[in-house]
Amino acid sequence: MSTTRERAERLLRWYPRAWRERYGEEFAELLVADIEERPRSAARTLDVARAALTARLAMAGLTESPVPGGTLANPAQASLGALCAALGLCLALSAAMWSQLAIAWRWAPRAFSPQAALGGELATLASAAVLAFLALAALAVIPVGLAVARHFTRRLAAPALVLAAAVTVLALGGHHFIYQWPGTGGAAGQGALLPAIPSGFLAFTWSLTYWFSSTWWHWSSLSALNPQDLAWMAASPVALVTAVAAAVTLVRRAELPPRLLAYETRIAALACAVAGILVAGGGAWVFSGRPPGPAQGGLAHAGLTDSAATALLALALAAACRARETALRTLRRRASR
Amino acid sequence: MPKRDGDDGAVLAGFGRYAGPATLILSSLADGPKHGYALTKDVEEFAGVRLAPGTLYEALSRLESQGLIEALEPAERRRPYRLTAVGAAALRAHLDAQRRVTDTGLRRLKTNWGTA
Repeated sequence: MSTTRERAERLLRWYPRAWRERYGEEFAELLVADIEERPRSAARTLDVARAALTARLAMAGLTESPVPGGTLANPAQASLGALCAALGLCLALSAAMWSQLAIAWRWAPRAFSPQAALGGELATLASAAVLAFLALAALAVIPVGLAVARHFTRRLAAPALVLAAAVTVLALGGHHFIYQWPGTGGAAGQGALLPAIPSGFLAFTWSLTYWFSSTWWHWSSLSALNPQDLAWMAASPVALVTAVAAAVTLVRRAELPPRLLAYETRIAALACAVAGILVAGGGAWVFSGRPPGPAQGGLAHAGLTDSAATALLALALAAACRARETALRTLRRRASR
Repeated sequence: MPKRDGDDGAVLAGFGRYAGPATLILSSLADGPKHGYALTKDVEEFAGVRLAPGTLYEALSRLESQGLIEALEPAERRRPYRLTAVGAAALRAHLDAQRRVTDTGLRRLKTNWGTA
């Protein structure tokens, strides 16, 4: 049986470190007194869990709740960091689902029935949405990169190096595995749906998102892969997460002017709208069980992985919208001072 | 921090769902500095409301960041908090506004329902 203090310490661990450093000791004292008075209280546990979650969301820049003094040098940039992570996840999942579907569309018969025509339009819309997302990502990243380069300090060196290393791994690995699957062999197939998209670009996107596969859930398929493929399936998501984490750290630490932050929130609004289209498309695909296009059955069948990815995509979009709102409110409050 | 004296009444209203706990805490601290547990017991005694630990510290953190209260040096791992002049002004303005609502409600009850 744990002591009262141990129980208090356990509850305290739910809070972020910066919060614990400021309030931890006094809060633990209060918890000890409260536990001694009311040994069993589900309401207290729920209250602490809710408050700790709020504190963590505040540290992540997802709410405007106050954080211990000096912990966040710039709350708007913390929100922008959260926005960067959420939209990065949206882009990665969208690109993964789209590259698989797009390859299936390329291999679909050129002439398809009139009933599939609407599906064809949806396929084009999904492709346009992913390309728009990529363009918006470039529009968001370039000015931040320039601002980081202009005001480069030693604090930015480590995340910049990690980001460069992770991007290099992704670029080299993506290039190495680009034509590992017959479907990405560079042949255009018979489909004429995506004439504007070079097959090499499609194959590279597929290669970068090689980890997005139901192979993980089938031991026989997994064991049949050669060690190189398996290593890339495991390493590429790690590199991707590392790149996003390093980018978030850069955004939080860099000296970004308010005008640039306001510009980023406007780009984010457009990106959220595009991500909304992709969530709707993913949802339609998962719920109908059929791909939004003329692709044939098995090649683009929506499975458990796609359902989970669509749910995660929707959650990431909700987090992105929340982070954008928080950033906007923080910027407006700062401007009104 | 409020910019003008006229903003005092709006400070606590801006706390949203934390306005209730914030008013109780400021009212308790109006009597002198207190640490977390003493605050909980005092509020329970004068308002009949028990502030849960998580809610109490969320409100304390907001009040401190707005400059309405300030933390004093800890004594035996317990840190007392004190009402600031800005906090006193904000509490006075908020309670005055609440009193106007209370007085109006009681007057209308007396006129139309014969009770007060």
